[in-house]
Amino acid sequence: MKKAAYQLDPAWRGVRKLDCHMHVNGGPRTWGWDSNDRIIEAADRLGIEQLCVSIPITRGMPEHDEVAACNDGVLAAMRRYPGRILGYCFVVPGYPQALDEIDRCLDEGMMGIKLYNQYKIWDPAVCLTIEKAIEARVPILEHAGYPSTPERWAQQPNLSHAGDFVLAARKYPEAMLIEGHIGGGGDWEWAILQLRQAPSVYLDTSGSVIDEGMVEMAVRELGANRLLFGTDMTMEGGVGKILGARLTRAQRERIFWRNMQGILDRKKVQGPASRVESKSGNREASCLCSGRWTLDAGLSLTP
Amino acid sequence: MLIDVNTYIGHWPFRQLRHNTAQGLLRQMDRRGIDRAVVASIHGIFYKNAHPANEELAKETRRYRDRLLPFATLNPTYPGWEEDLRRCAEDLELCGIRLYPQYHGYRLTDADGLALVDAATALGWAVQAPMRVVDRRQRHRWDLAEDLAPSALEEAVSLRPKTRWMVLNGMGVNGRRLPDEARYLVEISRLTAVLQRTIPSLLETAGPKHLAFGTGMPFKVAEPALLKLNILDAPARVKERIAWRNAAEMLGLGTSRVEGRGSSAKRQP
Repeated sequence: MKKAAYQLDPAWRGVRKLDCHMHVNGGPRTWGWDSNDRIIEAADRLGIEQLCVSIPITRGMPEHDEVAACNDGVLAAMRRYPGRILGYCFVVPGYPQALDEIDRCLDEGMMGIKLYNQYKIWDPAVCLTIEKAIEARVPILEHAGYPSTPERWAQQPNLSHAGDFVLAARKYPEAMLIEGHIGGGGDWEWAILQLRQAPSVYLDTSGSVIDEGMVEMAVRELGANRLLFGTDMTMEGGVGKILGARLTRAQRERIFWRNMQGILDRKKVQGPASRVESKSGNREASCLCSGRWTLDAGLSLTP
Repeated sequence: MLIDVNTYIGHWPFRQLRHNTAQGLLRQMDRRGIDRAVVASIHGIFYKNAHPANEELAKETRRYRDRLLPFATLNPTYPGWEEDLRRCAEDLELCGIRLYPQYHGYRLTDADGLALVDAATALGWAVQAPMRVVDRRQRHRWDLAEDLAPSALEEAVSLRPKTRWMVLNGMGVNGRRLPDEARYLVEISRLTAVLQRTIPSLLETAGPKHLAFGTGMPFKVAEPALLKLNILDAPARVKERIAWRNAAEMLGLGTSRVEGRGSSAKRQP
């Protein structure tokens, strides 16, 4: 063997990495591995210091008990791997228990909110969740994509795409919205071009698609400040696509960890005492919610 | 030492590609320390008459044959493919064939597919079958090809165990479903060393002789495949097999030939 490292920059492992989009087994859900210990083993081998994880229900409209069981699974993983596993609270917006569930999870130390495909991110049902995130100064990571065929859309009719994020960001520019997995399937060029219109939206680089030029285009069109490294279970691909992109060291560090660290650092200190006031404020804000929504002409809402 | 069994040059009609010439590919290989690569034409997939793409490929790679191993693209449902295959071997001196039944309208195991597989095997060629070229979720509406199913590949390998099969962009192939004597490699660009551990799983079900390094350049970034080799929990001799030895054996390359890497990208015409 000429080079034991197979021609990777020898420093690749030492660069700090903070995975903004990952999942764990727990509650009703298992993914493609037998134990969450495998996640830590993989992270150790790839030099990933921390992983922000969730357990979403990916089909249908789950009952609240199922949602809470998912979040209990995340909390268990956080306790088992303190400091390595950080948690997103998964909720289905619109359920009366959703805001209380967010409070419960943030009080337990979670760092953000995870939404899946139950509602478009601009749907009025999501307003209170976004307002809660703004109040708590935590990010919302939402499953997203732009499949290029009607058959794919039919599988997830409420899947949010980049244009949906543009709408939501115009209404809530102060929210920390993260569009999930640019490499999660779907037309990533379409997504990047749409997001030029929403400078407050972050884009995560996770997903199994490792197309050459994807990360560079996102940096060129959106700026390295808006990109967040993630794997979404594609561990080598997630790290490799950032290592393989033509970036400056500063850009790479921003994507690998600095941007996400900046988001984590904004979180408000949680506690029941701070909640009384904020909760009433939140309810008041919710009255304004429906009035905030007007669809902008010229912005595509349908594929 | 590294041999990449999964590269292309040419144009994809639905997305701009970079580094998609012979010189561009070689520069990318140099950057990653990849010694040799099997390469095929991208746009030849879409030519009704594929053979002119083979002529273009032969011409573009002619000066770099010490590093680039050009593979033919042919459609066994199109007239005259037998003569084109002969020309690929004798006139153009191509080294193997890459098949696209999902784009050309046949099955690997129907009469047309087996006829081409048998003819390529008779030449001593390796036969490559990409399970996919691009991810289905982002396909252009005119790109109607479905992924090849693992079962379709397993059926073909089982029917023709003496053929030198290379499964590109492979996922889901189970060595236990294949004959012990079958000659096949599964390229690693969609497999994983950690978490889902599909590479260790294939090592267990098929053995270390059945995996090969591949990147998917210029469609894909090469670093994920390099990372897999680096972090795979396996003895150095197994990694060496994946990195180049299995491919060298399958391609009929002597070790001494493989070791002669130069910096061809800088070579002048």
